[in-house]
Amino acid sequence: MHAVRNIRLCTKDCLCLYVCPSGATDTEDGQIDAGKCISGCRLCVDACPSHAISLVPEEFPKPQDKSDTSIGVLMEMLKSKSEQSLIASAISEGTDDPVLRQLASALTMSNRLMAEDIIREAGFMLPQGESVKKLLMELKKDHDVPCDVIDRLLELL
Amino acid sequence: MREALSVNELSILFSNLSKGCEKQYKKEEAELFGKLSEFYGKKASGPDKHGLEDLEKMTRKDIDEYPEAKQKVLEESDRGAMRALVWSEKVSKIVSSIISRYLKSGNSILETTNIHVCEICGFVYLGDEPPEVCPVCKVPKFKIAKVRR
Repeated sequence: MHAVRNIRLCTKDCLCLYVCPSGATDTEDGQIDAGKCISGCRLCVDACPSHAISLVPEEFPKPQDKSDTSIGVLMEMLKSKSEQSLIASAISEGTDDPVLRQLASALTMSNRLMAEDIIREAGFMLPQGESVKKLLMELKKDHDVPCDVIDRLLELL
Repeated sequence: MREALSVNELSILFSNLSKGCEKQYKKEEAELFGKLSEFYGKKASGPDKHGLEDLEKMTRKDIDEYPEAKQKVLEESDRGAMRALVWSEKVSKIVSSIISRYLKSGNSILETTNIHVCEICGFVYLGDEPPEVCPVCKVPKFKIAKVRR
């Protein structure tokens, strides 16, 4: 578990620089040097007055199992939101009216975000999860897919 | 699972996984999932339906289906699925009312106002200043983005 800094929250109080035993927190890019960070140390996490530092685990537990019923319900809703985001996107691309275009792009975003949230609950919560890897392997068998991207992902996950 | 997902749904899944990697500060993985999302997004063919009226019908249909959908996941004690349904039901109702108002009154309801979308749940807000926290998912205001005209 190594420390990461959320730059949006960091108020530059520099307590993390004082407490870090390895100098990992003092870098020119604002991020904590993962190579120097002592796994699980968390001195900087506790010292930060702005709660801008947290620990990111290297390993995660297996995600909760999802029932076929839940997946079925979510997939139905996903289909509808996905279709609606395509329709909204076609409206926004096909109009010269700036007001309608703005509304349609808001609807595209909204439907896409709902769809993203719905599909992650259908068994794809964790990027490192088995269901993601299984899907990537299946996709690799298709023609015309960016196999290099998929292979690299499978290697990293 | 592969057969069950359309290319656009794959694109949606991969953009979400990209965000998941970003949150873990996994930059390369986030970029790779982003590339896959773009790849499948480009493959998506145009929709069968084309107008705002179609969107209005589809949101209404979703709104009618939420009670049964929620009942089913309640019986499964799947609180995660329930959360996603509760949030998207609220957003769908707001979206449906905005579309209906637009179809009735046209540009006049939007001309002098801004549109914002919550980047977490998809909540749509018409107005110049978004609320301090999202009324649907309670995320702070800085996650509610202004949509450019």
